[in-house]
Amino acid sequence: MSEKRRERPDCVGGLTYEPIAMGDQKLELRSSHIVLGFLVAAVFSCAILFLHDVSNESVFMLTAFNFLFVSLTFPLNGSLATKVLLLSIGNIVGVLWVLLFSMFIRTVANYLGAAFNALYLILGPFVNLVWIVTFFSLSLTVLANAKTGK
Amino acid sequence: MIIEILEALFLVLTGLMISYLVRHYIFTLAVLKDAGKKKEAVSLGNRARLPHVSILIPAFNEELVIGRLLQRMCELTYPVDRLQILVIDDASTDSTGKIAEEFSKLHSQIEVLHRSEDEGRRGKASALNAGLNFVKGEIVLCFDADYYPQRDIVEQLAKEFEDPRVGAVQGRVTVLNEPENIVTRLVALERIGGYRIDQQARDRLGLIPQFGGTVGGFRRDLLKSLGGWDESILAEDTDITFRVYLSGYKIRYVNEAECYEEAVESWRAYWKQRYRWARGHMQCAFKHVFQVLKSKNLRFRERLDALFLLNVYFMPVFVLFSWLISIPLLFLGPPPWLSLGWAAGVFSIYSFVGNFAPFFEVGIGAYLDGRTRAHWLVSLLVFTFLYNIPICTKALVDLLISKASGRNSVPWDKTIHSGNGNSYITNQNKIPKRY
Repeated sequence: MSEKRRERPDCVGGLTYEPIAMGDQKLELRSSHIVLGFLVAAVFSCAILFLHDVSNESVFMLTAFNFLFVSLTFPLNGSLATKVLLLSIGNIVGVLWVLLFSMFIRTVANYLGAAFNALYLILGPFVNLVWIVTFFSLSLTVLANAKTGK
Repeated sequence: MIIEILEALFLVLTGLMISYLVRHYIFTLAVLKDAGKKKEAVSLGNRARLPHVSILIPAFNEELVIGRLLQRMCELTYPVDRLQILVIDDASTDSTGKIAEEFSKLHSQIEVLHRSEDEGRRGKASALNAGLNFVKGEIVLCFDADYYPQRDIVEQLAKEFEDPRVGAVQGRVTVLNEPENIVTRLVALERIGGYRIDQQARDRLGLIPQFGGTVGGFRRDLLKSLGGWDESILAEDTDITFRVYLSGYKIRYVNEAECYEEAVESWRAYWKQRYRWARGHMQCAFKHVFQVLKSKNLRFRERLDALFLLNVYFMPVFVLFSWLISIPLLFLGPPPWLSLGWAAGVFSIYSFVGNFAPFFEVGIGAYLDGRTRAHWLVSLLVFTFLYNIPICTKALVDLLISKASGRNSVPWDKTIHSGNGNSYITNQNKIPKRY
């Protein structure tokens, strides 16, 4: 194998001749973070209900995001401020995404009529899910980097 | 009437998807809760009490990778006088047998069993059964030829057999050639979700950790009493997992027992491998589902987990089915809850990759592994799930056709290993950055 390949900086396994065990992150589960996180998430979820032009699926997706995000990332290492900030950004991104998407739907439906409803029903949740998975993944990167001090 | 039937079907399928999603959410929470606990260090203890261990390595045309595994086997920390390493050359046409013989001449613990063309090439289960006749150890471990274990893996795995209720043990699989391309990177993520969270949670929750066919092993007496591996099943590992549980024993998963594998490097190879897994898993579902329901050796939670595990490869087919059902429902007058049900279905799409781990499970697994950039690709896992839909559907259709026609024998489609993983092992002087 070429020397160039061996020097690839993105070698992720941490593997040398002696394999190094995968990291085993020790967590100090912080129940206070989780409780506070759920309180903040509840505030955001209530605020979403007051928004107009938001479909049931979008509310479902935003609520699912808040629940998953708080219950799974708030127990991780990192400061409460970072986690609340990430949760807030997630909700803002989510709401903007939903509003922009609903405006787009209205515009396109105007031209395509009822036929578009079927397309929307099928593609809508996919589109909604894109931001959730992406934001969740990037947040974990932020928390992992905060943990390693990078 | 038709609408009501379609609605009921759609509801049932959506319910199934959500139940898998909840299951994996519980798994993730269980592992997170466990991540704060301190792990015990493994020591060899009293040398006189160490069990004699036999390691089976079935190999068919593995000349590109067998050398590195055998070299590694010579570097294991387990006492050589308590180790038997048996390479089963399954009628290879390349130099696999020759390489193994060379190691055998230099190292007394390595033995080679050559199978003739008449005996060999009948799949992994057949090769393992051939090797089982020659094992001397009380514990029988299995490694695929493309694997590369940590040096103390035998100690890590063998210690679990101190518990007499444990019949089998499974170690962790991680991907050696992860940086090769997008396929290997996505497979690595699947492995993280499947082992770091899924297997570990099932072990911690007292459910059914699965023997993965490699990086694991059994009590020899149990294995022999079960009649060895079932050669008619493509997923012989899943089959033996259930036979172990149905006979009253447990399987332990040891996350600290790490072993690197060379993952498939192309979508075509991915298809072949997953097709074999899917079809084999479905064979196991047909074979074991009623035994699991009736078994008195399984607790309720084990039975429930067993049903989830057995039916997991049907789920991509069910998702496809639910999409097909929703189309006529849309035109025949959609019920008000259809869009919500559809959203739930789509949400669970990310629940069916690898060992069917959802995106949050993979993400948390990568975090716990200390990975910092691997998460970036989690969004792309949706493509592997979409790819799994035709794979699993074809596997199911083929299986049903073969059952109907009475032709149940399926040729073993071997995964070809390129040996590209060698470049990550021979790099002795450079410690790569971890991301």
